[in-house]
Amino acid sequence: MKSSATDCLLELYDEQHELEDYQSGVPRWCTGCGDNAILTAVQRLCRDEALRPEKTVFVSGIGCSSRFPHYMKTYGLHTLHGRALPIAEGVKMARPDLTVFVNTGDGDCCSIGAAHWIHAIRYNMNLTVFLHDNQIYGLTKKQASPTSPIGTKSNTTPRGSYLDALNPLSVTLGVANVSFVAQAVDWIPESLFEIVKAAYHHKGFSFVRILQRCPEWLPKSLDPWMHDPDRIQLLHHENALHLSAGLSKVYKNQLEHDPLDMNRAREIASSEHICPVGILYQNKDVPRYEETRHSNVLRTNDLVRKGFEAELDKYTV
Amino acid sequence: MDSDLQAQIAFYLTGQRSASQLETIAGRALHPALFAAYRDLTRLRYDYPLVLVEAHDDGEFVAPLSGLVDAILEKIAKGADGERIRKHVLRLEQEIRAGLAAGAGGSFSELWDAAAKSLIKSDKRQAESLSRARANLKADGRVLDCDAALPYQLFGHAWRITQLQRAHAFSGNIDRLVLKLSDILKADFLNSDAGKSAENLRSSFGSGPMDNFDFAAMSRILTKSAPKASLTASRRQRIEQLLKVLQSQKFFPAGAAGGTPYSFAFDSCGGALEAYCERLPQAIELAKAVAIGELEIKGEYSEAKHEALFASFGANGLDASELVLFPDYLVRINAEAMSGAEQHAMNEILSADLPIKVLVQSDDVIEASSLPNGHLAFALRSKQLASMALGLSSVFVLQSPASSLYQLRGQIQRGLDFAGPALFSIFSGASAAGSLPPYLISAAALESRVFPAYSFDPSAGSDWASRFSLAANPQADLDWPLGKFVYEDEAHQTVAQQLPFTLIDFVACDPRYARHFAMVPRARWSDTLKPVEQVIAGDGRGQLNTVPCLIMVDGENRLQKLIVDEKLIREARRCRAMWNSLQELGGIHNSHAERLLASEKKSWEAIVKAAASSAVPVAATTAAAPAEKAIAAAPAAAEAEPERSPDEAYIESARCSTCNECVQLNGKMFAYDGNKQAYIADVNAGTYAQLVEAAENCQVSIIHPGKPRNAKEPGLEELVKRAEAFL
Repeated sequence: MKSSATDCLLELYDEQHELEDYQSGVPRWCTGCGDNAILTAVQRLCRDEALRPEKTVFVSGIGCSSRFPHYMKTYGLHTLHGRALPIAEGVKMARPDLTVFVNTGDGDCCSIGAAHWIHAIRYNMNLTVFLHDNQIYGLTKKQASPTSPIGTKSNTTPRGSYLDALNPLSVTLGVANVSFVAQAVDWIPESLFEIVKAAYHHKGFSFVRILQRCPEWLPKSLDPWMHDPDRIQLLHHENALHLSAGLSKVYKNQLEHDPLDMNRAREIASSEHICPVGILYQNKDVPRYEETRHSNVLRTNDLVRKGFEAELDKYTV
Repeated sequence: MDSDLQAQIAFYLTGQRSASQLETIAGRALHPALFAAYRDLTRLRYDYPLVLVEAHDDGEFVAPLSGLVDAILEKIAKGADGERIRKHVLRLEQEIRAGLAAGAGGSFSELWDAAAKSLIKSDKRQAESLSRARANLKADGRVLDCDAALPYQLFGHAWRITQLQRAHAFSGNIDRLVLKLSDILKADFLNSDAGKSAENLRSSFGSGPMDNFDFAAMSRILTKSAPKASLTASRRQRIEQLLKVLQSQKFFPAGAAGGTPYSFAFDSCGGALEAYCERLPQAIELAKAVAIGELEIKGEYSEAKHEALFASFGANGLDASELVLFPDYLVRINAEAMSGAEQHAMNEILSADLPIKVLVQSDDVIEASSLPNGHLAFALRSKQLASMALGLSSVFVLQSPASSLYQLRGQIQRGLDFAGPALFSIFSGASAAGSLPPYLISAAALESRVFPAYSFDPSAGSDWASRFSLAANPQADLDWPLGKFVYEDEAHQTVAQQLPFTLIDFVACDPRYARHFAMVPRARWSDTLKPVEQVIAGDGRGQLNTVPCLIMVDGENRLQKLIVDEKLIREARRCRAMWNSLQELGGIHNSHAERLLASEKKSWEAIVKAAASSAVPVAATTAAAPAEKAIAAAPAAAEAEPERSPDEAYIESARCSTCNECVQLNGKMFAYDGNKQAYIADVNAGTYAQLVEAAENCQVSIIHPGKPRNAKEPGLEELVKRAEAFL
């Protein structure tokens, strides 16, 4: 509820945006790439939530998915390999008024950026993180990533990969202060959009792993799940997602799951034959680092100068 | 009728005392029976004296002296010498109380030091105890006993602390706006040619040797490469004007530019009202500057949209949520000194929802009426004010005697925080009449229902149950609170009885009304003396064979019986009726609720009786309910989907994953909708071969090519075969 007449009047002038207002350029992703579905879902979110482009930032690392900020007509930072999360944290810390999204890939997040990933979960800053997991390094033309299924033949593993794939859901659920973990697949747009929306509305570190097809380098990898609706398990709960009649008709394998039940979430995350889709875990009460460390002190020029001088004085000989 | 009873009834009816049979109470120092134990307050530990603390750990503005002492003892009175320290510190506390009663004043620490000085002279161990305790004295502030000055000081203090917090929040907001708005101007300067000039660049690099750096070259590069956009003249002017308004405001203490801030404490409603009206234009200007400033720093101010809106800003004044930014006014007045004009100004304030808090202090609630013949109208003046404010529904009202102010500190704070007017009607108990201390007088006014405590908080909810509270009154469900009275009879046996505390007890403390009482000599006590509460409870005079009698205790602790005249009984009945009305407002013995309950009970009993006689199960009447529930809980029917013919070409758009396959194949035949999901825009814009190819390429297999439309298309037979998988 608006508190004053002024607020109410100003509300009348709120701007409405169209989906096209968030589109920037033509994506260079391969035709058929799952990144397109994620891009559409996120642009729909921005439109529906009327996010102001100048108040929205997309931060990415390196990889196919990390081209994402280029295609959003908002602020964006295409940063260093594996470093999307610490940079996004810096943005959020300095400008808590901005809506910050992170787009990262299975290599960017789970390999070179793994350390940042673990600590970003623990910090629980209010970021919405999309892990575009296509289970392969696509930009550099097919090398095995940490999430490639065992036996994946690639340029670095010509005889098939030797290790079991890392499960980003289980890892995330194992870190202290985790507050939101969900899984989506790019080929069910309705559920992808609902999950993206729930992640955006969660106040804290919202981690969404999106299983994404790579038609160029692993074209058949996800076919068993895509072509057999029974291998997709839709999670629903009164405190999480509600299933539409249309989805329920196609995807009969459904599970009621309380998102506060961590043990069950870990069990669900470990499923191999079945692919769970929905919110595995959500706890709204986990403290957020930027709020815990928030200071009401105004950053005046004098304060900044004093801070700099104090730091530089440490190195005075 | 014997002559004693005759004399007593004559006194009861006329107030004329027969000197031979009844004695006067004037000059006898009688106390109500229930007060017998409270002769010397300085030896008791209770809520008073109060310390007006500046910054307390729990954020409260006031703490009882005994509470602060207990907090110190909890910290240090431990171990082997704990008991000794406790004894010494409590002795000091008593010394402070005695000092205050004797007229001393000052802060807690000052009174502590003064009291300690006289105590430690003779005892080294006591000096050590007190020195340890003194080191743990963290909260300090002025110490006040319950007297005529207390309400004025206490509310002034609580209001000041509230305003300080508000000023802190407000200044923080103003500073932030000023900084951010100045940043906009600064950024514009840095982006201008002057900002990028070699001189300015050099000056921005500090004082080190910069001879090897070519600032002119840097200036050229920056001038060439940076965007040329600059602030429009109107925006610059607007921001400069905002800064001027924000920096020169006088509502809260600010920097040098602000000048002397306004004062908001007044001694008359008229003065406060005048000041409010005079300052309103500045307040509107400032509220407007804050609103525009917020928009400017977010980059949301649009001249086309907002100019007209802000041109008429504040035309209807400011609403409560905007006024909450500003300091509240405080008016402290005495009910006795309130003129008609002042009363009118107060009505204006309360009915216009102005942010003004009014403290009306009454020192005497049973003053003589101006009407002749000894007409009584106790406590009406101050009660009228509070009940009038209750009728306005949007005013925070707190009525309380001074003795309950500590207990009601939370309500005081709520009243001061309330966004709108508040009326605090307080009885200090410090009337000139009588010898009892003000604390006891005010507590007696509460106990006797002469001056009940209640609060009405419009922000607490939308109904009376949430807004109105009688919680601070003792035994609020009774007409008169009961207390245990224990005494020794003539046979030296202990007698205990429950005595009510009524208006008659309260009036009996006041020597001005001594003529309404007559003492019955012990030799003349008889069964005709009927407890006063029983007479009040009766409707009228009834049979005149008894007279109302009140038990009191004299200066030598002997029990005395007094008879009371009828005027006081009538006044007590009126007092009880007023209390009963308050009880109803507070949900106690509410007549509407009781009537409804009785009628519901009656109809329920009738149903039960009927059910028992006909042996039909009552539950059968509700048998239909579960069925309805089941229908409501049934899953929603699946969304209707249009029936598609296998001959028709279509796409299941809702399942499209935007992979671009089809639109790249033929951008005219396939297109994206508003959600960027594909549909067939024009089936004739391409060939059947393209439809089939799109269906085959589709990552999520949602394209259905249907039947060919052009029978002459080459290779049709093979295409139809390939399309079969997607029909």
